[in-house]
Amino acid sequence: MVKTITLGIDQLSRMVGHAFAWCIIILTFGTSYEVFVRYALNDPTSWAFDMSYLLYGALFFMGGAYTLSRDGHVRGDFIYRMWQPRAQACIDLTLYILFFFPGVLALMYAGWGYGIEAFRIREVSVNSPVGIPVWQLKLLIPFGAALLTLQGLSEVLRCIMCIKDNRWAPRLHDVEELENVIIAEHSGRTAADKGDAK
Amino acid sequence: MSDPAIALMMLGLFIFIILLGFPIAFTLMGMGVGFGFYAYFQVGQDFFDSRVFYLLTQNTWSIMSNDVLVAVPLFLFMGYVVERSNILEKLFYSLQVALRHIPGSLAVAALLTCAMFATATGIVGAVVTLMGLLAFPVMLKSGYDQKLSAGVICAGGTLGILIPPSIMLIVYSATASVSVVKLYAAAMVPGFLLAGLYVAYVITRAVLNPKLTPPLPKEATDVSWGTAILLLVKAFVPLAVLIFSVLGSILFGLATPTEAAAVGAAGALALAAAYRALTWQRLREAVYLTSRTSAMVCFLFVGSWTFSSVFSYLGGESLIKDFVLGMNLNTVMFLMLSQLIIFLLGWPLEWSEIIIIFVPIFLPLLKHFEVDPLMFGILVALNLQTSFLTPPLAMSAYYLKGIAPPHIELWTIFKGCFPFLGMVFVTMAMVYIFPQLVFWLPQVIYGR
Repeated sequence: MVKTITLGIDQLSRMVGHAFAWCIIILTFGTSYEVFVRYALNDPTSWAFDMSYLLYGALFFMGGAYTLSRDGHVRGDFIYRMWQPRAQACIDLTLYILFFFPGVLALMYAGWGYGIEAFRIREVSVNSPVGIPVWQLKLLIPFGAALLTLQGLSEVLRCIMCIKDNRWAPRLHDVEELENVIIAEHSGRTAADKGDAK
Repeated sequence: MSDPAIALMMLGLFIFIILLGFPIAFTLMGMGVGFGFYAYFQVGQDFFDSRVFYLLTQNTWSIMSNDVLVAVPLFLFMGYVVERSNILEKLFYSLQVALRHIPGSLAVAALLTCAMFATATGIVGAVVTLMGLLAFPVMLKSGYDQKLSAGVICAGGTLGILIPPSIMLIVYSATASVSVVKLYAAAMVPGFLLAGLYVAYVITRAVLNPKLTPPLPKEATDVSWGTAILLLVKAFVPLAVLIFSVLGSILFGLATPTEAAAVGAAGALALAAAYRALTWQRLREAVYLTSRTSAMVCFLFVGSWTFSSVFSYLGGESLIKDFVLGMNLNTVMFLMLSQLIIFLLGWPLEWSEIIIIFVPIFLPLLKHFEVDPLMFGILVALNLQTSFLTPPLAMSAYYLKGIAPPHIELWTIFKGCFPFLGMVFVTMAMVYIFPQLVFWLPQVIYGR
């Protein structure tokens, strides 16, 4: 039951993170297009600059919960790594309550007022006369923060499970950094070689 | 308790929480909000009217609409695509053939491959592990010295965070409000100087002690120049063109770093397609990894800006400033002290945390000591090379150990890294003694 909830939340964060991750493709080709028309056709666009940060902002902000679900937010974990899973979970649980939730809840609350105000006046960018709307990015702040809060809940449940079992429940998998994949494959292979030798 | 005392407590508590291993971005954000409540507290004010809420959203928005940091996901994406483009093996082979008559040719080729691939990808771990699988066994099989081979791969791979277009310099630029373009220009000479020192070191060792790098068998060196050039054209030239067009368009003002990064990412996709490596699966991997790493870096910024606004509002910044000024340091002593602290921080922490969180502590002091932020940035960038190479927590050495044959000991790899560490310190000293190494190129291109 608890597992279903955590995995459900993880899946939601991953889905949102993945969806917004594709902004990078539009960002790449949109900005390349601007460079092309500026030099080849001498006709720069009026939207490329605003588009670039609008996509970048959405990309990283909505990827925050997904990154948390994959334990991708950097930790100074040189001591942390040496502890038992149960000790890790106790520390994490305490700090989630003490620091994480106050931070993201404040961002959700304050972001809501901020986003709604931008939405109400349909705020547009001041960078170019064409008036690229920016309210949608501001309105993302409360939603991104809400998703982070939800993901934090999933992490807290995971901590509680870990305190009970003294081992971390497996996470959802999608992609890993190449170095981790290679090292994991390699250690798997040497382990297999040793197994064969016996 | 006075406000500056609270600020000091805030800093102490923060360092303690880092040691506990909690995600740093959210520690910063949570502490910023908590201490912010205290800092902006006004009697009779409603809880939800506290200025800390405004501060938090403003900082978040400044990061979300930051026109410098836009380049970060683009360069990351370019890196993740190049990493998956099957180019490394061809690049190494082509350089190996091209350099076959140079003493220690395999080691020099490995070094240059590492440096170039790392420059294009900017991701140290991937370079070291990939080259550890590809070049390291070849060098060992040819009877190359274990220490030298290990050092070459670790040090060469780490160059990627220094030589432009590097993401680290963009992050420094956003932290210190120095132009990325100038930073790139300033980092060129020191970056190539360090790489050049590495190459010179390897060749010197090979000449002085030929036993370290036994000559390759006849059939391996017996390649016609035509073949060698063809190999270079196929593997070396495309990647070189990609890197230099990105860098050139930035340096000569043809495109902003963001635009150059976008064109670079598009070029990387074309390159991967040309090498028939652009599968749907790999594209997805690159896209998702870009999102995760960007979120990691940018949330660190959101947290750090919130934390440091509250910290300096409480008077923490001026407290540190007064303390350092009270020590009556001269410029050299200040630089030594700050670089020593950054060096030590590099053991447990990664460059992103150091630049986003700790470098800002030194920035307000630069003016007093008449240190140009450009110079300081290059020194920090050089210094952070060491965080990958210094035992006991040298990430590059651990990556290599992770994929090296079991009989290669971690300590052997560390020993291999030491001479390269020494060269980093030599380069830092040279940059300080001859500031023209930093300022010459920006002056030539931008006038001052």
